[in-house]
Amino acid sequence: MSETQSTQTGHASAIRVEGLNKWFGSFQVLFDINLTVENGERVVICGPSGSGKSTLIRCINALEDHQQGVIEVEGKALGHDSTSVYDVRTEVGMVFQHFNLFPHLTILENCILAPTVVRKTPRKEAEATAMHFLEKVKIPEQANKYPIQLSGGQQQRVAIARSLCMRPRVMLFDEPTSALDPEMIKEVLDTMVALAGEGMTMVCVTHEMGFARKVANRVVFMDAGAIVEVNSPDAFFTNPQNERTQAFLNQVLQH
Amino acid sequence: MNYNFSFPYIWGATPDLLDGLWMTLLISLLSIAISVVIGVVGAGLRVFQVPILSQLVAAYVNFIRSTPLLVQIFFIFFGLAEFGIRLGGFWSGILALSLWGGAYNTENVRGGLSAVDKGQREAAYSLGLRPLHYLRHVALPIGLRVSIPAMLNTAVSVLKNSSYLQAIGVAELTFVAMNRVATDFRTLEMFLAIGAMYLAIVLVLSAAVRRLEAVLQKPFRTA
Repeated sequence: MSETQSTQTGHASAIRVEGLNKWFGSFQVLFDINLTVENGERVVICGPSGSGKSTLIRCINALEDHQQGVIEVEGKALGHDSTSVYDVRTEVGMVFQHFNLFPHLTILENCILAPTVVRKTPRKEAEATAMHFLEKVKIPEQANKYPIQLSGGQQQRVAIARSLCMRPRVMLFDEPTSALDPEMIKEVLDTMVALAGEGMTMVCVTHEMGFARKVANRVVFMDAGAIVEVNSPDAFFTNPQNERTQAFLNQVLQH
Repeated sequence: MNYNFSFPYIWGATPDLLDGLWMTLLISLLSIAISVVIGVVGAGLRVFQVPILSQLVAAYVNFIRSTPLLVQIFFIFFGLAEFGIRLGGFWSGILALSLWGGAYNTENVRGGLSAVDKGQREAAYSLGLRPLHYLRHVALPIGLRVSIPAMLNTAVSVLKNSSYLQAIGVAELTFVAMNRVATDFRTLEMFLAIGAMYLAIVLVLSAAVRRLEAVLQKPFRTA
């Protein structure tokens, strides 16, 4: 699973982050981050707020730039030039806390915009792909509605489908259920579990410990901008190594 | 005071006035169209903070907003002629009004674009859209909706300000009226008539823009 030398054996890791340091102005927010995610692996990143979880995954598709270190997606290095940024972004899908659907476009139009504009996919073909993924997230009947007409959970499932329409190799989730009503969390998590079952490489920042236990291959715990502990879910929840992890788990698992 | 208001006089002047009205419409609509293009491009340069061009746009907007339109018109018509650039009244007028409206539209569109939630840009970029794709397919359709009332104001001002062009001899509506007043002294008739004409075209323009606004607004209303 953690075959770090995979580059030599012919296939690259899905994500390789090495010696990543990042500053906002003079304030350092990420400290020497090393993380490799293999194809098909599901990694959950958790930790207290302000620990740099979101910033880390936002660096992976260059929504944030980084000052030091190496980020590679499918063997493509993320440089500071726009070409490498676009190359990496087309391989990486992202789902946001606040869905960020395009409000002026219908659900179907949301899903076909990037494929038709970026990949130059013919409209008919893009629509067929979009309907395929809308069916996957169990929402095809909403295709001609506008985002505002959907519930939060539905909007988030559309956001997942919209990302999948670009056929990404890796999916990043930035607290995908944090803005949802408790009742809607399940439908989004179910969608994510199904996606995991199909072998999608996933990196999820989430506080859903049940989800972490169920689908993660590894759990990464971050605190104060650094990775404190990386462990299998079982070991992470039953026998956390780090003091800070123990304190965090005591807080979040209490109820 | 004993003034004999004469409707037949207005009737007799109508062919002349319609010529002027046509010129006013032609110049105004062209200038409005160009000023919208300038506004979109200028706002795009400002919002994406394109080096150098962004500062040039800011300076241009400041310059236009801080000097009287009549001075700008004279500068383009007489001033440029000193450099051998003779545009003539018609094109000088269109250039002046377009630059004037363009400066205001730059600010109008910029306001609309900055009202677009930053999550929209992040979503677009994460899907692989380039900045221009984002501008064209996401930011403008969302942002222009916010800008439209202000842009309508600017368009109406461009239309009304086209009457300044009588000062450089463009045969638009006000020029025609002034000419007739100079020979026939039918002041009330003429200014009442052109006032009504300006009012009518502004009302039509406003109605058209409201239709456009309704179309852009449609997705944002729950059915």
